[in-house]
Amino acid sequence: MLDIMAIISDGIGGGLKSVLNIAIIVFPLMIIMEIAKDLNILDKISDFCKPLTKWMGVSKESAFPLTIGLVFGLAYGAGIIIQSAKEGNLDKRSLILVSIFLVCCHAVIEDTLIFVAVGANGFFLLTIRLLTALVLTILISKKLPSLDKEK
Amino acid sequence: MITANTIKRGAKNGLNTVIELAKVIIPVYFVVTILKHTQVLDYIATIFEPLMKGFGLPGEAAVPLVLGNVLNIYAAIGAITSITLSAKQITIIAVMLSFSHTLPVETAVSKKVGVSVALVLVIRIGLAIISGLVLNLVI
Repeated sequence: MLDIMAIISDGIGGGLKSVLNIAIIVFPLMIIMEIAKDLNILDKISDFCKPLTKWMGVSKESAFPLTIGLVFGLAYGAGIIIQSAKEGNLDKRSLILVSIFLVCCHAVIEDTLIFVAVGANGFFLLTIRLLTALVLTILISKKLPSLDKEK
Repeated sequence: MITANTIKRGAKNGLNTVIELAKVIIPVYFVVTILKHTQVLDYIATIFEPLMKGFGLPGEAAVPLVLGNVLNIYAAIGAITSITLSAKQITIIAVMLSFSHTLPVETAVSKKVGVSVALVLVIRIGLAIISGLVLNLVI
């Protein structure tokens, strides 16, 4: 059955092609991220995130976990959040707001580029994701009372 | 400071990621291709067509949306590339999935941080649905 062979080769070949398309983006990206880490570029991005913390009504110390989550993903961001909370650098209110923001919006570089690789509009994707998460967090922050004062 | 170690670490991470995504994308692409040729995909598409219509998506788009939410974005990519979609449709799926994906794993992570599971799910799935509906009308 020639037909079955064609389907199987299409199934394997197409899958490999998709992986290759994404590998071309992800592989250099991972190297760039390590370089960024070692050049302390994160501190600079962290400065850039400081206005965000103000709008979101969270403590200035939230800028670092926010940056890590935005760049490296939810798991890394959560790790930093848990660590900061343990060390007492992050109040409960900031912790909840930063987590809500990051749950909606994380690993933005990798996620955006992966979807761009298969044909999505990256500008749309990134802008909508960032703005929506920001607006949502600001709205919740207005409703959320200062948890630490209640104690 | 950047040393040879920096590049080595990056290359290792890159390689690991590519292996991880290959492990998911290749089987998903393969299975969806088989489904496409055995009419099963047409059947799935017919069932989900009314649901996907609001997002401006064909019925088979339910496959990447479900895979992305239950498994991860890589699985969704495997499905997206194996079905035929326009650039607008891919962008809509991408935005929906960017808000809501890998739910079992990521919800567990947010629970560890101390945020309510129900809240996280409502926000993420809610944003995905709303953004899909709005984008279909706007772009």
